[in-house]
Amino acid sequence: MNLPLTEEQQLIQRIAREFAEKELEPRAEEIDKAGEFPDEAMRMLADLDLTGVPYPQEYGGGGADKISYVLILEELARSCAATALTLGAHTMVAGPILEFGTQEQIEKYAPRLCKLEDYGAFALTEACSGTDAGALMCGAARDGDDYIINGAKMFITNGGYCGICVLFARTDPDTPGSKGVSAFIVDRKESPFEAGKHEDKMGIRGSDTTELIFRNCRVPKGNLIGKEGQGMRIALTTLNVGRITIAAQAVGIAQAALDEAVKHSKDRRQFGRPLAKNQAIQWMIADMARDIAAARLLVLHAAKLYDEGRPFGVEASMAKLFAAEMAMTHTVKAVQIHGGLGYIRGTKVERLMRDAKFTEILEGTSEVHRMIISGDLLK
Amino acid sequence: MPNIVVCYKWVINEQDISVKEDTLELNCSRAKYKISDYDRNAIEAAVRLCEKYGGSVRTVSYGDENVKASLKDALSRGPAEAYWIEDPSSITADSYVTANVLAAAIGKTGAYDMVVCAEGSSDTYAQQTGARLAALLNVPAVTYAMELDWQDGNIIVKRKLADIVEILQMKGPVVISVLPEICEPRIPGLKQVLAAGKKPSTRLNVSELSLSDEQLKPKNRLIKIKGAVSERKHVLIKEEDMAKNVDKLLEYLRVE
Repeated sequence: MNLPLTEEQQLIQRIAREFAEKELEPRAEEIDKAGEFPDEAMRMLADLDLTGVPYPQEYGGGGADKISYVLILEELARSCAATALTLGAHTMVAGPILEFGTQEQIEKYAPRLCKLEDYGAFALTEACSGTDAGALMCGAARDGDDYIINGAKMFITNGGYCGICVLFARTDPDTPGSKGVSAFIVDRKESPFEAGKHEDKMGIRGSDTTELIFRNCRVPKGNLIGKEGQGMRIALTTLNVGRITIAAQAVGIAQAALDEAVKHSKDRRQFGRPLAKNQAIQWMIADMARDIAAARLLVLHAAKLYDEGRPFGVEASMAKLFAAEMAMTHTVKAVQIHGGLGYIRGTKVERLMRDAKFTEILEGTSEVHRMIISGDLLK
Repeated sequence: MPNIVVCYKWVINEQDISVKEDTLELNCSRAKYKISDYDRNAIEAAVRLCEKYGGSVRTVSYGDENVKASLKDALSRGPAEAYWIEDPSSITADSYVTANVLAAAIGKTGAYDMVVCAEGSSDTYAQQTGARLAALLNVPAVTYAMELDWQDGNIIVKRKLADIVEILQMKGPVVISVLPEICEPRIPGLKQVLAAGKKPSTRLNVSELSLSDEQLKPKNRLIKIKGAVSERKHVLIKEEDMAKNVDKLLEYLRVE
């Protein structure tokens, strides 16, 4: 498919593919099997200026547009979804600092994140507040020039490795719901906190997912992002961008499934001819290609709106919802085309099917995105 | 400080070529382009030399209407400047025409210590252009280069020959064709890609190169290009005695 991409965007896409084929593909199976954090790959990405792609170069970022960023994530996810997610989750952390932070906060933290001097984590989810993020309990109590944080966060991507986290905590215990929530930059060196055990996940197993525990963690008041009570707005703005990136990763996973399905159906012979000669297989492949193309265009559309500074929240939800469900459906089909082989560990489609599932859950479940889209139409 | 010209070819990515099952014809209609794999080695070798000793690298490429799309790719890999010759004659050009055009174009880009190119291109691998270029430029040709260095104004080349390694020291100008093993090409960083768009590039027209019609007429004509199929003979050697199996196998291999 010929995408309406500039020469530069096509070059960036090609380079991301080159990197993924050379550096990620050979290690992806092992990373999945061992649940190994792809630190080495992330260091290589940092050397290629790819750990802060959409942010200004003056703060250590790559200085590219959002379209280039989603193209990179798609290509990485096509080879190793765990690395793509690690990168996406890390990259998003500089977003709220650059968008809502003070100049001082930006200068102190954005370069550290963009150059991967520290891993970033986005700490919103708690045991009792997932989709209902506004119900979070983690508290930040003012004490002189500091806030004292107490509480625990759950399912935090890059949690064990992060040096900087953007944390959402309740500054006003008397205001229930999202209005009492504020956002903080927590520098682990200055304000130590603990990480719980690494969760043993179904897919994207190399991605680090942990609990974060804050026990009387003292954070300077200068690390509050924006004003008290703005936390949820900051979280949702960041999540909107995150949704486009997850959608891009879903497209990459689905594209990898299609690549594998095409290869296998041409190679594998049954009844004296390749599987590809059967209409049942041909139709599955055609449906995959159609849906991947459609999802990719939705992702690019949302990224383009973002690049142009136009509202993109609903479009991000549409891209995320469609791409995630499409990736799940078609990775299952790819396993089906592989037959028994597709059910065996070490076959790429088996990993892709497990990896695809996270895209339907992370950064808003499919159900939440249906609520957002219909809510916009029916308001 | 070495002053280097690197020639590269913008080729169809072979991964995107499909072969029609019945006629074995190649379908390139959906294929994307790339810098010929071995030419990336040539660019990298030249850029590394200049990163170490100073100097400059410029690229020259000859191709059809698609070649302009190669400039940012080439420049993102380290060269400071790019020249390109976009002309429909490149579609039917063989290495004779290509070398004529490149030699004339290199003459337009100023003085140089060395012209570096790959031993062959990743599409045809004819291994002709480098040697022809040297003849046309009237400078020595150094082929099969596996290492390249620069010492006090001298070019040092390690050549890999059949059973020996030859080390040469020379002064430029010279044409050097390099083997893939000379170095591993880098993957350009994002900042290098974005900076590539700001580097200078110059288009040269074939009409400016003072070439005769004869020099633009290929010596070889491509009649047809087809996909290769390996036909299996399905010979099964099934003697009771293993020694006899081996003898028969050897017999077949001898005939082949």
